[in-house]
Amino acid sequence: MYRKQVRRRRAILVVLVVACLMLISISISEADDGPLHSVQTGVSTVLSPVGEGAGRALKPARDLIDWFDETWQARGENEDLRDQVAELRAELLETQDAAEKAGYAEKLDELMNDGGLTGYTPVAATVTSRSPSLWYESIKISAGSSDGVSRNDAVITDDGLIGRIANVTGGTSEVALITDGEGGVAARVAGKGPEGLVSGVVGNPGRLDLSLIQGEKDIKDGDKLVTAGFTTETGLASLYPADIPIGEVVETIPAEQEQREQVNVEPFADLADLTDVTVLTSGGG
Amino acid sequence: MIVTPRIVFRLVLIVLISVLLQIGFFSQVPLLGSVANLLPVVVVAIGLLGGAVTGAVTGFATGLLLDAMIGGTPGVASLALMAAGYLAGRWREGYDIVSSLVPPLLTGALTALAALIYGSLTLTLGVDAPISILALREVFVQGLLGILLAVPVFPLVRRIVRPALVDDSLSPRSRAAAGTRSSRRRTFGMMRGQGSL
Repeated sequence: MYRKQVRRRRAILVVLVVACLMLISISISEADDGPLHSVQTGVSTVLSPVGEGAGRALKPARDLIDWFDETWQARGENEDLRDQVAELRAELLETQDAAEKAGYAEKLDELMNDGGLTGYTPVAATVTSRSPSLWYESIKISAGSSDGVSRNDAVITDDGLIGRIANVTGGTSEVALITDGEGGVAARVAGKGPEGLVSGVVGNPGRLDLSLIQGEKDIKDGDKLVTAGFTTETGLASLYPADIPIGEVVETIPAEQEQREQVNVEPFADLADLTDVTVLTSGGG
Repeated sequence: MIVTPRIVFRLVLIVLISVLLQIGFFSQVPLLGSVANLLPVVVVAIGLLGGAVTGAVTGFATGLLLDAMIGGTPGVASLALMAAGYLAGRWREGYDIVSSLVPPLLTGALTALAALIYGSLTLTLGVDAPISILALREVFVQGLLGILLAVPVFPLVRRIVRPALVDDSLSPRSRAAAGTRSSRRRTFGMMRGQGSL
């Protein structure tokens, strides 16, 4: 009897492992519009409202945690500041939402006008969910194809670029963040400096890496990086419009013995704490 | 664990609520430079209470649901969570849980293992970017947060599936009676090994 149980247990385990490996294999080998991806998109479309509803329902709990987090950080400051924070907190909580929204809109207008992005139609969205691991950096937002969002549209905040649309359903979209290890962004140092490829550093969401640097000019700490937005003579074009702020160079390690120069970049946008985002829907991109 | 349709319904409900809590809450609250992962904690709890097969099947289903909802590669999260659930179940079938510290510590270890498997698979499937040493910190922090989460989650899951448990050896009543039924323990241990799914 016991041997039979062991055999059955092993058989179930083998079946499950094989099923996992088959799913992984099919998912990687098939095209984006293949049957497995279609099923996944279908399930995602059906479950998205549930996830979105849960995200909304749990927002007060997240805000509470944020409040405790802010309080904990404030403990590190001196006594005077703590008193001030305590007095202003009630007032701050009431006005924070309105101020954030107004400030966000103002900075976003500035960013779009300065960056020559007026040819794009901005679609506002909120973050509804986030992947649970640093290995796969993606978020879901509350705007989809019904809002005019398409695959590969650039996604920004008032601070700068955060990623691109990876998948779209009717009312939601999945955004692959620039810190995701699977993609890169063509970038250049603001002021027509050297160009290169910005990519994420797996496991460290607060850092980007500038590689494949082209150009003679030196890159210095404090240099600002923006999207290059290139178009080649053969018609190959960058996914991102030009001149969207990406981040600031925080460390340059000079090349030694033919190794490439290492340039560490800190993104302008706080990718660990995203709430409101804007999708630049195609006006040419 | 004696798995009846009613218990299956409860397990499905536990998995669904856990996935919604994970993507709607835990994934969006940064803690110690990472985020807490509730899913391996729940899967390990079910594995510890229900045995290897129940743990593995629950881990597989939880991973599939998660991948469907966040758009990840199907099968990756399933494999990681299935390993955690299976190993938790094997532990339960092989050893008695003699202390209330065992579930949280085992959950921490298996949560870290699940994070390691998830990371390794993702790497194997092709990440071109450089890898920071902080990726290892993610594994450690997730294990640590797993220990903390297990403290309330394990008793909660045990309470929900209690009607199906053959021998709830961690309940106060069972512990009080443990001295008088030592001769029966071996029999119960065998039943635990055979009673899953």
